[in-house]
Amino acid sequence: MNTVLSRANSLFAFSLSVMAALTFGCFVTTAFKDRRVPVDVHVSKVMLKNVDDFTGPRERSDLGFITFDLSADILLEYCYSKLHVLHSTYFTGKWCLNQVLNLRDMKSKYFFFDDGNGLRANKNITLTLSWNVVPNAGVLPLVAGSGQVSLPFPEAYETTKSY
Amino acid sequence: MLSIFKSIPSHMDYKGQKLAEQIFQGIILISAVIGFVYGLIIEQFGWTVYIVLAGFVISCVLTLPPWPMFRKNPLSWQPTIPEISGESIQKPQESLKKKKHK
Repeated sequence: MNTVLSRANSLFAFSLSVMAALTFGCFVTTAFKDRRVPVDVHVSKVMLKNVDDFTGPRERSDLGFITFDLSADILLEYCYSKLHVLHSTYFTGKWCLNQVLNLRDMKSKYFFFDDGNGLRANKNITLTLSWNVVPNAGVLPLVAGSGQVSLPFPEAYETTKSY
Repeated sequence: MLSIFKSIPSHMDYKGQKLAEQIFQGIILISAVIGFVYGLIIEQFGWTVYIVLAGFVISCVLTLPPWPMFRKNPLSWQPTIPEISGESIQKPQESLKKKKHK
């Protein structure tokens, strides 16, 4: 501790250890919270097509287009950076600090393909919202919202069904 | 260029070093506690980091330069003995050379 460099070295190492302990404290205080939130999903329009799927099997597959509304009261304590809807990313952005999520008339960004013809006249298609929590320190849970909507898909292709 | 920095004296005496270590540890621990509590209340970890960094900067300013408060207890060296003759210089040199040959 006789030279400036030696003092600076021990100062820096000490603050880094303290910072690591604080980060652990942050993890302990936030990782064990129950983050499920009631979610309100309404679907306004569903359209079904039977097209060639170039990424999947060679037969024609069902392609669904869904237009929906979504509202959820997600209490965000630390910044979450992605919102995953229907197990694929429909909306990405930075959400910080207690924003109420309200999406209206969202069209699906990724193709809702079914390998095969399972979507036509399917009595029960269930849409749920689930999101990844990306905390500053700790585990990365996938949280499922507690609301869902089930709806039958149209019987025929190329027709729109309004709800 | 380095010789300029080396020529600035930056030493502290031993009691001063102990005082400096206590000062920076105390400041950083206090700022860590304050920062953690504040970050927990407003639910943002970023503010915790900012407060700890502020404590780090304060303790840098207080302990890195050799302030006079760290030089209050200088070591008392014995007075230097002036050199008497050339023999007393050569003898230790010869004994050093013998040790090296072994």
